[in-house]
Amino acid sequence: MSDSAISVQHLHKSFGPQVVLQDVTLEVPAGQTVALLGRNGTGKTTMIRALLGLLPVDSGNLKVAGCNPATESVELRRRVGYLAEDQSMYGWMTAIELCRFLQPFYPHWNTSLADSYLKRFDIPRQVRIERLSKGQSVKLGLAVALAHAPQVVILDDPALGLDPVSRKEFNRDLVEHLQAEGRTVIYSSHLLDEVEAVADQVAILDRGRIVRQGPTESLREDVQRLVISAEIVRQRPAPTGLLDVRRAGEQFEIVIDDAGHFLGELTSQGYAVTASGMTLDDIFEAYVIGRPEKWSDTAIASKA
Amino acid sequence: MFVHIERGSSIPISRQIAEQLRSQCLSGLLSAGQKLPSVRELAQQLAVNVNTVFRIYERLAAEGLIELRHGDGTYVCPPKTQADAQLALQREKFQKEFDALIQQGVMLGYSAADFRARLTLAMATARKQQQ
Repeated sequence: MSDSAISVQHLHKSFGPQVVLQDVTLEVPAGQTVALLGRNGTGKTTMIRALLGLLPVDSGNLKVAGCNPATESVELRRRVGYLAEDQSMYGWMTAIELCRFLQPFYPHWNTSLADSYLKRFDIPRQVRIERLSKGQSVKLGLAVALAHAPQVVILDDPALGLDPVSRKEFNRDLVEHLQAEGRTVIYSSHLLDEVEAVADQVAILDRGRIVRQGPTESLREDVQRLVISAEIVRQRPAPTGLLDVRRAGEQFEIVIDDAGHFLGELTSQGYAVTASGMTLDDIFEAYVIGRPEKWSDTAIASKA
Repeated sequence: MFVHIERGSSIPISRQIAEQLRSQCLSGLLSAGQKLPSVRELAQQLAVNVNTVFRIYERLAAEGLIELRHGDGTYVCPPKTQADAQLALQREKFQKEFDALIQQGVMLGYSAADFRARLTLAMATARKQQQ
């Protein structure tokens, strides 16, 4: 478990004057599933494309399944399974034809494995791809991405456009066919409620930076919502890890990371504080649109 | 065995599953000696991370509720070994009720000093009753 299957260090990428990824560092231990969370346009797809060597990066070190994506992209593709966002496949081919078409590109392609995925994912073999439902074509994309038994699997928003039942099925397949077999998975998603059940770790990407990475379970313990009195806000500088501040009269509702630390401090000073847990959705929102600066605004306003 | 997960709840999924399994063991709904699904099976059934399920099983085993027999499977323990878990469960319940009570007190305008005074008084009464 100590080896990283995916290692990203200080990755920078700009498109012209627009900075898309800034100093992104991410380690994914072998066998873990990591969900990459972020709003639209925060650099998720750019990062995934960089991991696969589909995009030259400005600077930074990348290693995926033991390969450098920039220089060993052929070997990398043999070791990695990839499903693009809205994966396009030749619509006039059938599932079987697609498998025959792809097989020569992959020395480790396993025909019987491809066959068993088609069977397990319930994909019709002799129907043209353009006639498949959205769910079926995502599953076909996954089947062909896995048919060469890759160690590392990279999925760009695989659940996009799937109905709730198909999403659940898809998660089940992810758990059964990837996690249980010890593969390393990185996937991007917007569906946070589902990510919680499936991912070992989450990484929150915002405006080109990873603002938080950690085990899914400890993230939910560390980030909490506290209700505190205005007196506390006026008396001390903003605590570290503050993510959001809202005011209601003489009460403040704050969201804070590493909440245990601040809670301990406040209770030792004799303040009564109420803390409550948050959903992954709320945590994500606090990270990407939280307004921690309101703390110091209040402190300044009260002094004036 | 039935486990229901509420997605998007403020209670983490791991805790939801652990609590349901725990109460099913303690209530006898899962009887002693009964074999539970394997980690992989339960993970797949619930569409939940394999490592999460593994950690839940480990925790329940540490509480003496279930037993992980290597190479065989996971079994529900007899009630004797479950006594510790019962205590842990009741303590957890007490904690929750206590926290809720404090929260209610805060809403009613009690300060930390008020609580402390109240606690000293209550402790004294409790000690007297024990004697």
